[in-house]
Amino acid sequence: MAIPPGGAAAAVALGIYDADARDVHLLFVVAGKRTRDLAGLREGETVALAGPLGNGFDLGGVPRDVAIVAGGVGIASVFLAAVALVRVGASVHLYYGARTAAMLVEHERFARAGCEVSLATEDGSAGERGYVTALLERARAPELILACGPTPMLRATAAIAQRMRVPAQLSLEETFACGVGGCWGCVVPIAQSSAQAPHFPPAENGVVHARICREGPVFLAQELRW
Amino acid sequence: MVSAGLSVEIGALRLPFPTLMGSGCYGTGAEFAPFADLSRVGAVVLKSLTRKPRLGNAMPRLVHTPAGMLNAIGLQNPGIDWYLEHEMVALAEAPCAMIGSVAGFAVDEYEEVCAKLAARPEIAAIELNISCPNVASEGETFACDPRLTAAVVRAARRVTRKPLIVKLSPNVTGIATIAQHAEAEGADALAVVNTVRGMAIDVDRWQPRLGNVAGGLSGPAIRPIAVLAVYEVARAVRVPIIGQGGIVSTADALEFFLAGASAIGIGTANFFDPRVPERIVAELSAYLAQRGLHDLHEIVGRANVGFASAEQYEGDAG
Repeated sequence: MAIPPGGAAAAVALGIYDADARDVHLLFVVAGKRTRDLAGLREGETVALAGPLGNGFDLGGVPRDVAIVAGGVGIASVFLAAVALVRVGASVHLYYGARTAAMLVEHERFARAGCEVSLATEDGSAGERGYVTALLERARAPELILACGPTPMLRATAAIAQRMRVPAQLSLEETFACGVGGCWGCVVPIAQSSAQAPHFPPAENGVVHARICREGPVFLAQELRW
Repeated sequence: MVSAGLSVEIGALRLPFPTLMGSGCYGTGAEFAPFADLSRVGAVVLKSLTRKPRLGNAMPRLVHTPAGMLNAIGLQNPGIDWYLEHEMVALAEAPCAMIGSVAGFAVDEYEEVCAKLAARPEIAAIELNISCPNVASEGETFACDPRLTAAVVRAARRVTRKPLIVKLSPNVTGIATIAQHAEAEGADALAVVNTVRGMAIDVDRWQPRLGNVAGGLSGPAIRPIAVLAVYEVARAVRVPIIGQGGIVSTADALEFFLAGASAIGIGTANFFDPRVPERIVAELSAYLAQRGLHDLHEIVGRANVGFASAEQYEGDAG
């Protein structure tokens, strides 16, 4: 969560795009007042940050063949995972989609980092015309799928992963308020049997609400009941 | 730590700082501990508990709006019995007072949950969240009716001697009357106000933005509504008032004290800056020193000049 200067009424929830021992990089689209304020910061100005919050992709088990699906600014949340996977010898294929070519950013970095990259745009201005999930649909089943982007893209990715019988980790987007698990404003229905399900009395249909900011934002697709 | 002049009494409960973290906004405090010094907070009002577990509303539950936000969480909570058995233990080590919050859909539900919660030594006081529909009277909101408000407070008062805070709704025409009914039944303090009902519509999809359709508006957008409510209630009752609604800065807090509040609630502000409560406490101390005052109580209600005469009042309304 980044707190823009100038007394905005809410913080901005951002994924960590890149990080090393010295720097943290945030990548975001200017969409409203809060992101405009953040983008207006000059070198030397300070910004309040709380984080990192929540979980991240689980890269344990050293998967060798990974598909990453990113939609729009969701690309910001998958770079560190892509780099970490390439570093341990995994073959990583990035499927990246956006509305137009102008919204496809930073994918050259993924290519330079050793990922194979396939692009899609809704208007056909770059890569294949259509949704990015169409690319995944035609691909050979990977060992693991990671995804971050708009909810419809994540739902489609979950359906494809189920057909392919491949585990998928989805980083969910939602409107956040507190960002630290205090307000229960950003929940998703999840199987109560999931290790990520919060402590709750046994629910009738076995489904409870998990906090995207706290138990997530990354969930296993097959455990979501959304 | 210099905090002289900032302590406040709510019934028999003495808080070192006049800042209460709003129910449902602050978890148990533990969630915010990495970002805020809880020993510099007056009290945390816990999330409301009901008799039975509640899964809460469908998503989306939040919408950001100009200078505020709408929420419709739906009182998600594990129910009083589960809470007492599994989650109470975390409160024992809390560095500030923990105030329980009770919600319900029937008078006897308030009574039962209040009795169970108040029996626990970790709970310093009880807040009654009466902005819930009463199933027995066609979903009429307790907080919107003086008789229903009185019935809930009476039932809660029967089962606990702990300080009882009644949280009033701004969605009424005569908040002072409702405040008087709560006071008459033994409320030790009044929290003024809860969220303002509101709605937002997605004009692309032609649908309400909240899963629950209607929600509660909070944040700076509702501050003038809350200040006036405190002002009106302060003229009608003698018990202390916890003023809340859109407080972000010390100047905002001062408005509430000057309107008649003895303490303040901070909710939405924690969402974008968890340092707000601490900053307000430090700046209130500085404000008192600067003005040569010894105690915050010296300014409580000092802006109260009554209301303009009827003719003037109507004229202003135009």
